[in-house]
Order: sequence, then structure tokens, then C-alpha cells
Amino acid sequence: MKKIHIIGIIIIAVATGAILTSLMDAGTYADFSTADKNPGAEYHVVGKLNKDKPHDFNPELDANKFTFFMFDNNGIEKKVILYKSKPQDFENAEQIVLIGKSKGNEFHATEILMKCPSKYNSGTPTETSAN
Amino acid sequence: MIEYVGENLWIGNTGNLLIILSFVCSIGAAFAYFKSVSAAEESAGWKTIARKLFYAHALSTLLLIVLLFVMIANHMYQYFYVWQHSNNSMPMRYIFACFWEGQEGSFLLWSFWHIIIGVILTRTAKEWEAPVMAVVSMVQFFLMSMLLGVYFLDYKFGSNPFLQLTREHPDFANLPFLKMPDYLSKFDGRGLNPLLQNYWMTIHPPTLFLGFALTVVPFAYAIAALWTKKYTDWQKPALAWTFAGISILGVGILMGGAWAYEALSFGGFWAWDPVENASLVPWLVLVAGAHVMIINKSGRKSFHLSFILVILSFLLILYSTFLTRSGILGNSSVHAFTDLGMSGQLLVYLLFFVFLSIFLIAKNYKQIPHESADDKLWSREFWMFIGSLVFLLSAFQIIFSTSYPVINKIFGTNMALGAGGAIKHYNSWQLPFASIILLLMAFAQFMKYKQTDSSYFFKKIRLSISLSVLITFIVSYLFGWLSFGSELLYAFLFFSSAFAVIANADYFVSMLKGKFDSAGASIAHIGFGLLLMGALISTSKSEIISKNYKMDAEFLGKEFSNDENITLLKNDTIQMGDYFVVYKGKRKEGINVVYEIEYLKFDELKKGFNYEFTLSPFIQLNDRMGNAPEPDTRHFLYKDIYTHVRYADLSEEVNNGTRHEHDEKEKTQNYTAEVGDTIFAFNAIMVLENIETKFDTAFLSSLKNPTIAVGAKIKVFDFNKNERTIMPLYTIYDSIPRVYEDTLTDLGLRIALWKINPAERKFDISVMETRKKASDFIVMKAVVFPGINILWVGCLVMAIGTFMAVRKRLKQQ
Repeated sequence: MKKIHIIGIIIIAVATGAILTSLMDAGTYADFSTADKNPGAEYHVVGKLNKDKPHDFNPELDANKFTFFMFDNNGIEKKVILYKSKPQDFENAEQIVLIGKSKGNEFHATEILMKCPSKYNSGTPTETSAN
Repeated sequence: MIEYVGENLWIGNTGNLLIILSFVCSIGAAFAYFKSVSAAEESAGWKTIARKLFYAHALSTLLLIVLLFVMIANHMYQYFYVWQHSNNSMPMRYIFACFWEGQEGSFLLWSFWHIIIGVILTRTAKEWEAPVMAVVSMVQFFLMSMLLGVYFLDYKFGSNPFLQLTREHPDFANLPFLKMPDYLSKFDGRGLNPLLQNYWMTIHPPTLFLGFALTVVPFAYAIAALWTKKYTDWQKPALAWTFAGISILGVGILMGGAWAYEALSFGGFWAWDPVENASLVPWLVLVAGAHVMIINKSGRKSFHLSFILVILSFLLILYSTFLTRSGILGNSSVHAFTDLGMSGQLLVYLLFFVFLSIFLIAKNYKQIPHESADDKLWSREFWMFIGSLVFLLSAFQIIFSTSYPVINKIFGTNMALGAGGAIKHYNSWQLPFASIILLLMAFAQFMKYKQTDSSYFFKKIRLSISLSVLITFIVSYLFGWLSFGSELLYAFLFFSSAFAVIANADYFVSMLKGKFDSAGASIAHIGFGLLLMGALISTSKSEIISKNYKMDAEFLGKEFSNDENITLLKNDTIQMGDYFVVYKGKRKEGINVVYEIEYLKFDELKKGFNYEFTLSPFIQLNDRMGNAPEPDTRHFLYKDIYTHVRYADLSEEVNNGTRHEHDEKEKTQNYTAEVGDTIFAFNAIMVLENIETKFDTAFLSSLKNPTIAVGAKIKVFDFNKNERTIMPLYTIYDSIPRVYEDTLTDLGLRIALWKINPAERKFDISVMETRKKASDFIVMKAVVFPGINILWVGCLVMAIGTFMAVRKRLKQQ
């Protein structure tokens, strides 16, 4: 066996390893009910903020805890505890992606991604006073 | 038809004409160059025509660019692109940023570099001109098609920067006030995204796009070589361009990192964001390609891999264009372009060149020169070859994980990398790759091509190894890396980077005798080693100093404890790392709300504070992308203190109004608690420790001897970490209950135990709290990055080294 074959085998092994760990490290997008069925596992849950219910951020007490209610894409509502400070512009978020685990009646999130309505597409020109 | 006042329609008409001209000339040039190659005899006629067509294409594209600048500079808002990216208050210094903020402008920027490169190639490529320029013209043809903005069989091709708001844009055409003849006099543009209004937006995109554009040259040479079956000669002219690409693209990528670190609050210089990855991966592959080309020059004459790598690098540029511009990254990246509905067209662009490359490689595979003899273990080329393969593996790992959105689309899966998990995921692969590369970089230079005498090699390398080991031991001792566990990996990584730096410095001094002409490689390698050393130290030893000292997170027993942000009340002095910080206040500067935070140090002798410095992180009130926090960093020689505001109440600034003070009203909240439960109040945390039923007689008599007395022993923790125990009582006097509440006046708390349920061991507790007026506060995160200057020095040194390599290759031609 030539050296080039040994190298080839090593490369294939490393590449396979890279693919496998990528697949293992990947979370899955899910809804709350899926997350509930498997409380230990981490999920990405996509949804919308329930604007009728209050959210609670009390930085003087704990700057790293923020509580709110979210509907997932199936309309199921759940209380969410985010272990981060309240994201700036939270109220305007069009869509929320949470990364975390289900725990009892709550969803404990460690990360939040928000999609804010970008005026990029929906922007309409407004009349401004002449200047 | 309405006669509008103040419109400049000629400019748009000219622009549209030029787009079509440029588009037609590019395909014409490609065709003529193609004919010139395939003609049996070297056909000067076709080549002359082709060159003229390419110059016509170049000129019309340049005029296009000028026109767009004129439109932006003169605020011609009847054009959608101008309205979209500029406004009346836009300073002229951001005109470039406005130009390439959108997809259309950035395509033009990219084309601009292709044209410059193309013109240089027509002057210098000599016998390679026709086939190489045929490829470049073809690339330009696809790029120009992105600007067409025409409909063909219901499919829109490209997005046209000369689109008129009032006549052609579907969302705007019917707005009533746009029907007024003098609408332009009352009309302001939407403006450049404030987040992009800085000098980085002026220098980063042109550098990055020049880097992108340079990758087309080695690609075009490789395709030309396969096409004309001159499998070896292409490498010499292509190598200088390859090094130029490595140099400029590398600088462009690092500039992006510096921008993120200086002006954005991603929390570091590299976040493994898909957009960052998409430009890093072609660079890695191009570096691998350049090294294989060097091997081909002096060592093993096997050319397959150089073709594959050089071609792959450009295809990855196209792939990254597809990723960032098709909207497919929408959910996974913060800074991809918005979708302009061109994903199909971008995909065709990518696939055309993918299939062309595969076809040409497959067709020529057997004829490409190949040396079947095995490389010697003691040769430089063997280890350079291994290094190139590690680069390729590293690129593969990154692009695979970045491609989840694409994989999801194709296979209908739902995978995603966690935002925090992504960095760990990439690091766990890329750190070992980096350290292998560094080791190879260190010792391979001391090997000769073909065969090296092992005793010669060890003699030469001895000094570098012993010095690196020594330094690694000292640094590891200081950093506490000399323990078993993951820290040992850091020690190893540090060793490999130190080894790479020292060995290359040694090579420069002892082997090259300090001759700068051939030192490009050594200097670039030193830079790369320093860069990774700085990255290693600054990330592994980075320390979040904004821990919340007020509250003990462990006490809360939180599984997810994420104790990285600190709350600063206005004028409170709080300890943070080595400093005491005071939030002094805020001020509004334009669209920024600037927070002034003073850093003090405690003087033991004076028993007082010494002022050190002030940092002013700010929040940009940005109605386009949401309010964006921007960091402020204190630079020291050996470390940086990087801070940004995580949360602040912006209602006052956003509404330009005054804050409504909360009334000082008492609020009552009722809880049913068991022993061990925690109750959160606004100013304190309480834990129901115990339920007491036995009291001494003196105490009971002071209460006039109730029939039953139950006390809730509650531990109260306040902000200053004070711990107190209180005990509200629930008593019964001959079946009449009476409640004794306990109060903590300084916290504005009254606590009562008003119902007990002994069977279930549950107790109803009321917390009555008078909240203090909402005070001005911010939540801030502060991170110390030690040794980050090593990283920046490394960037600079690497850039210099790669420039020197380009210079050397140019001299050789």
C-alpha cells in the first residue's frame, strides 16, 4: 500500500467524522409538543410572542432572566423562561426562534433569535416636508 | 400621462441602454474569444474583435457605475435604488457605502474588479489571453444578467438599479402622492442602514470583492489549460494571481472580523456566521491550491490536485454568492442580503461553471501529467501536500455545516446548529486542523525537495523546537494550562503556533540570511502563526467580567445559569473584575443613545477610588434593523476590555417624550409555597426556610399566648447580598385567626403568612411591596480579551508576507 492510499483512507475517515458530528451537533426545529415529549433534548422552536400576556424582566433582581409567553407555529402557547437579558426591541419581533428544553409547563431557553420586521421590503415612501 | 417636475429620465434611459450594451458585449467577447481559441490556426481576427468587444463591455460597465454614482450623489429618488439606499441627509463620505449596500451595486462593484483584471489580462496574458478571457467574459456575462431586470416568459431576470419608483415599481406606482407632478421636491430617500454608516462599509466590501474577483484568474487559467490541453504552463502566470487572491481575500475577510469586533456587538471578531464562513472557505481552498502549485513547480509533477483546488475555490465563491444572495440563509445568518427573487438565476450561474468544470476535468483526466512514484517521507513536497489536504478538509467541514439550509431545502429536513453550539462545533474541528497546519508550517520549510538528510533536518530544527517548548511551558504555567483536560489542548495549540512563528523566523534568519526577496512565505507563515496564537489566547482566556455580584446565581440553583450580564443603576458603584464601574448617565447624539460608564480602581492607601477611564457603548436607534447596540472597547497593549449594552429602557428616546415615573404604590402578590420554595420580589429574593411551631414562653406571652402559633422562617437576600431572616406569624386565638406580618422597611417589603394547610404542607404567603421609582439603569456585558493585539499584528504580518509573495512571482515572470 502506498502512502497516498493511507492518506486517502485518513481523509475519508476525517471527512466522515466531520459529517457525523455535524449531524449530531445539529438541533432540530420543532414545536412545543415535540419538545414536551422529550424533555431532556434541545430543540429550536419557532413561534410568535403572545402580546396579550405580560412579559417579565426584572434586571434589578436578575439581569439574566426574562419570562414571556409564546405561541409555537401550531398555536400552542407556553411560558418561556429565557436565561438572558431581555433582547432589545423584543416587542417588535415578528418571529422568534428559541433554543432550549422543555421543563414541566415551561420552556427553558438558552438562546433566542428574533426576526424583526425589516422595513427593507415593506417600506413605503412617505411624504416629508420640503427641505 | 403626468408631467413630473425635476426628473432626470435621460440618466435611467442611458443606464438601461448601457446595461444591455454591456450584457451583449460580454457574451460577444466570450464568443469571439471562444472562436479565436477553437479556430485551427491562431486567428488574429477573432481575437481583435473579442478584445474590442471586451473593451466595449468594460467601458459601458464603467459608465454604468459612474451613472449610478451621479444618481446617488444627486439624490435622484425617482430611481428605486437611490431611494432605497440614500437620503437627503446622507454625508458624501458614505456615497460608496450607499452604492454597494444593495445587491445591484455590489454586483457592479464585483464587475468593476473583473473589468480591471480583464483589461490587465488582455495586456499581459499573451498566448493565454484568448482562452482565459473567454472564461472571464463568460463570468461577466452571468454577472451582468443579474442587472438586467427584464421579464422573459414570466420569469424576472436580474434586478435593475435604474428601476423607476413611480412607473415601474409595483409597490409604489399607485401611491397617490406619487401622482403629484412635483412629488420629487417633497420626497426623501429611505437612506442607508445606520448600522452600515461607518468607514468599514467603505473599505471592507471593495477589498472583499477584489479578493473574490482575483479568484477568477487562476480559475480561468485552469479552465483554459484543460481546454487547450496545455496542462503545465498555466501555473506560472496563474501563481502570482493566486497569491494576490490569497492576500486580498484574506485581508478582506480579516477586515470583516475587525469590523465585527470594533463596531458590532457579536461579542468577538469571529462568530462562524454563515456569511463569514462563505468567504473563508474559498480562501482556505485557494491557499491549498497555491501550495500544490508550488509543489508542482519544484517537487512532484502531479497536476490533478492543483486543477481541482483552483477550480473549486472559484466555484466556492459562486456558491457563497448563492448562499448570501438567494435568501436561503434568511433564518441562520444576521447579515445576508435580502432575497431579490434571483435564486434561480444564481443557481444557474453556479451550476453552469460546476458542470463545465466537471466536464473538462473528466474529459482530460487521463491526459493530465501525473508522477506515479511515491513521495518520500523526508521531502518538503510530501508535507506540503499533507498540509494542502488538511486545508481542504478544514474547508469541507466548514462548508458542510454552513450548508444546513441548503441540505434542509433539498432533503426536506429540519436541521439547525444552535447559536451557541455553532461556535463550539466549529472550534472542536477547526482548532485541531489549525494546529496540524501550524506544525507542518513550522518544520516543512526545513526539509528539502525530493529528499532530506534526517540529521541535517534535526540539526536545523533543534533550536526552534527547544525555544518553542520553553516558551510554551512558561506561558502554559502562567495561564494555568498545565493540567490534564481540555487546557492541555490549549497548551498544545499554543506550542504549534509558537513553533510556526519561531521556526519560520529562524528560517528567515539562518537559511534566507534575512533576504527579503524570497521571504514572503516565511513572513506570511509568521503572520498566520501569530494570528492563530492571538485568536487562541484571546478566546480561551477571555473572561466575562460583568458577573452579577449582586445576586448569587448558585444560590438560585438555576440549571441554565447564564450569569454574564450586570445591572448598573445610575450612580451606583459596582465591582466588576479589577474595576469598580459607575453608570454616570446617558446622552443622545443624533440617532445614538450613548451611555457613559466610568471605570475606577480602588486605592488601598488612599482608601478611595482613582478614576481610570470612561467607556461609552451606545445603542443606535435604528428603525430599519431594530435598535442596535454597538460596543466600546478600551485597548491596552496586552488586553482589551470590550463592553456593550445588553438592555436599556429606550422608551424615552424612541418616543422623544418624557418618562412616566411609576407611582409609589404598594403591590400585593400572593403565593402558595412549600418549605424550600423561592419567592421573587422586585427588590429581593426570599426562601421559605422552615415552618416553626415551637416558641419559647416569653415570646408567646409577648403575643398574649395564642392557642396556635405558626411562624414562617424566611430568608431574605437583597441586592447587596445581605441575608436576613424574618418570621411572619399566623396565630389562632380561640378559633379566631390573627396574622402578624413582618416588615423590612429598607426594601419596602411587608410579608404575611395568612393561611396554612398542614395536611399538604402548603402555606399562603403575601408579599406587599412598595416599589421604588423606576430608576435609570442599564444591563451591560463586559469581556476582557487578552492578547488580542497579537492577532491584529498577525493579520498585518500575514498581509505583508502574502504581498511579498505576489511581488516575487511578478518579478519571476
